[in-house]
Amino acid sequence: MEDVQVVGLLLRRCLTGDAAAWEDIVRRYQRRIYNICYRFAGSADDADDLTQEVFIKMYKTLNSYDVERGAFLTWVTTITRNLLVDHFRKGKHDRLTDSLDATPAQEEEGRSLGAQIEDKSTASPAEQVRSREAGEAVHEALQKLSPELREAVILRDLQDMDYKEIAGVLKVPEGTVKSRINRGRAELARLLSRTYRQVI
Amino acid sequence: MPGENPIRMQCAEFEALLAEALDGQLGGAQLESFQQHRGACPVCGPLFAQAETGLSWLKAVPQVEPPVNLVNRILAATTGVQARVPVAVPVTPPWPKRLRGWVTPVLAPVWSTARQPRFAMSFAMAFFSVSIALNAAGVRLGALRAADLRPSTLVRGYYETSAKVVKYYENIRFVYELESRVRDLKRVTEPEEPARPVKEKNRDNNTSGAPDHNREQNYSRQEDQPVLASAPAVQLWPVHALRRLV
Repeated sequence: MEDVQVVGLLLRRCLTGDAAAWEDIVRRYQRRIYNICYRFAGSADDADDLTQEVFIKMYKTLNSYDVERGAFLTWVTTITRNLLVDHFRKGKHDRLTDSLDATPAQEEEGRSLGAQIEDKSTASPAEQVRSREAGEAVHEALQKLSPELREAVILRDLQDMDYKEIAGVLKVPEGTVKSRINRGRAELARLLSRTYRQVI
Repeated sequence: MPGENPIRMQCAEFEALLAEALDGQLGGAQLESFQQHRGACPVCGPLFAQAETGLSWLKAVPQVEPPVNLVNRILAATTGVQARVPVAVPVTPPWPKRLRGWVTPVLAPVWSTARQPRFAMSFAMAFFSVSIALNAAGVRLGALRAADLRPSTLVRGYYETSAKVVKYYENIRFVYELESRVRDLKRVTEPEEPARPVKEKNRDNNTSGAPDHNREQNYSRQEDQPVLASAPAVQLWPVHALRRLV
């Protein structure tokens, strides 16, 4: 049985009040939603709370899901994204750089990974990020992107969604999605290169 | 002028194809013109390099694992039902293993020292001494039962063993003879205690019917007669004993 059919069956059972089917749905999507929340919100505690909120909202609005309007994954991701945007607005996390020409933040200037990271000049980015410290550096750099660029990059590069699905979630044209992804990736590389240039 | 394609492709078109180019989805003439523009345009070339670097960073970021009890909390907040499949909780090892884990680091240095050859003889002697002591006390480890470990049995065993040891000691010929010589010497050197005067009233009021000891001892002697001093009864040592002592 294909994944879409399995999910469809689970949803029908959920709508009849089957608690076991709901548990299966929670187990199936909790890791994905938690990862989106963690990468977007930046902290494990926030991700924990936001994931719970997403599932509570899902549970309350499950009967409003229409199979004809799109995949269940897109619907779930849309709920997650909307909650994250609300969370961001409440927190007023406007510390971001939306431009490739933006200057680095002061806190970034003061940050140093010199003690933790050895000579990075010869290693490729993929090799560098294998270390835990470098992974954390990427995570921190993600938090410095604007929400628009961040969500596009997270959905594409960390959740492997295709452009059409992302466009459906963000409710923008595919061209805009691609543009945001390109700018997000480039901005991330600039932020990280500044960090590691300080180290070297 | 930067941003303008000197060959065929415009910068806007380049940016629109950038994501697909990084995904490896371009081909044919489209890929060729893309690469030409990338090599020629001073804006799009660096943009491509940065986007490629950023993508390689992001591809290496690992997925994070949600908390173990997140599913339970979600279910409790939605349906109020606990999870069917128990969440994998780290198993606590049984107490013997935990005890071994605590004791081993402490005892390991002691044990390594004790295994040295210079300590082997000391331990062997200690074991030998304990074995002799247990043997003398009548303890047979092979025949030890649970009933033998009760307090009453242990107390009885203690008294029996003490009596056995005392009896053994007193029955040694040398000890016996030595004690008897000491007793004889004491008798010779110490003066005899004078006889105690019998109280008259005790004799008159004695209605218990007990026999009169004084009369048993000497019926012929009167009470008012003086007691004559007599030489102490010196026991003469046998000749063979004297010879042995000399």
